[in-house]
Amino acid sequence: MNEKKREAISEFDVHSGEPVGIIAAQSIGEPGTQMILRTFHYAGIEATIATSGLPRIVELVDARKRPATPITYVYLDSEARKSLEKAESVAKRINEVRMNGLVRRAIENFSKGTVKLILDMQAAEAVELTAAQIAQKLAKATGYEASVEGGSILIRLHTNNMKEIRSASVRLMKKVIQGIEGAGKAIIQQDKSGTFYIIAAGSNVSEIIKLDGVDKSRLYTNDVFAMYNLFGIEAARNTLVNELKKTLKEQKINVDERHLAVVADAMTYAGDIKGIGRHGLSGQKISVFAKAAYEETVKHLVNAATFGEIDHMRGVTENILVGKQIPLGTGSVKLAIKRSGSKKVESEKKQDKPQ
Amino acid sequence: MAGKRGDHEYVPVHDIVDGKELRTFLEERKLKVENLPKIFSTDPQAVKLGAKEGQVIRVKRNDHSNEYLYYRLVIK
Repeated sequence: MNEKKREAISEFDVHSGEPVGIIAAQSIGEPGTQMILRTFHYAGIEATIATSGLPRIVELVDARKRPATPITYVYLDSEARKSLEKAESVAKRINEVRMNGLVRRAIENFSKGTVKLILDMQAAEAVELTAAQIAQKLAKATGYEASVEGGSILIRLHTNNMKEIRSASVRLMKKVIQGIEGAGKAIIQQDKSGTFYIIAAGSNVSEIIKLDGVDKSRLYTNDVFAMYNLFGIEAARNTLVNELKKTLKEQKINVDERHLAVVADAMTYAGDIKGIGRHGLSGQKISVFAKAAYEETVKHLVNAATFGEIDHMRGVTENILVGKQIPLGTGSVKLAIKRSGSKKVESEKKQDKPQ
Repeated sequence: MAGKRGDHEYVPVHDIVDGKELRTFLEERKLKVENLPKIFSTDPQAVKLGAKEGQVIRVKRNDHSNEYLYYRLVIK
């Protein structure tokens, strides 16, 4: 970039003391009123529909540990992305198959201490499993004795305790037989250029990344905490910006990306992801008055009085509260009269250092 | 948003900064090290660099086609 251009652009730089946070909040909030307030669920559509609109924004900004509809985008390496066969083999290793999806009926025999699982052979065929394979995997995963009887599996528990048999059968139904636990249903997709990729309805990225054929540099999930745990705080911050942007764009709302970046930076400032609210950012405010002005006024004031806390009156809330000028914009500058030889001014100056 | 040499699309390049660069950065903005954003020493990227508590990690960010540096103090 040449000097003239740089100089021209620098006139539009944000000045020191500009309340960027408030501007960001207003810039997102105003068009946000046009967003849909409820997510709709349609019956009969197989692919999972991600939460969108206001519920999704609330989920992101509150830093919920698990999104309502986690989705993982698994891109494939140069070999697997061109061949459907290889893509299918990767999808098969991801696709989470639980026992309760394969069993039509479970019959518990309390006198013999057995559980008979009548298989849904159509469902088993769909995930390319035979009864013998299921029995073998089940035995390996649980340690129980399992044998095949026609279209069903008989499990011997060697106990007559009703409670034990019942809890064992509940546990059996929850067992993941194939794929990755928490990865959800995996569906192969093809983009315009004919490249295959996989969408999974879960967010267990830390396991998916270990698979062969997965492009490790592009694995992405809409679960911000999953991204944080696997790739770190900077990736979480970028995921936050990206998800906020995507959600707003879906609703045809145009908000400058830099406003979203301010929000994401504030949320990730402390090294982990903090929600915006009482337990997150606002809870960290140092000023007693600011905390008391927000919620639980008496509790904060009593605590502050008990422990003799000091309020330096550096924030916005507490200065509005007492009717002083707020330390933003032109208010962020302080003036002192320098009278030569006056030691008092010198000492005041030291106290009033900005920030 | 991608880092050029990063291992992942969403992970910009991280490295540990030396004392001189950090000092000029902080002096220009009249900041203390504690004012910087934080990164946990257990963060996957900090672990990869072997960063210790008190060191500062420089992140080469690239948002909306604007390259800039971001600094994070390593904490426990």
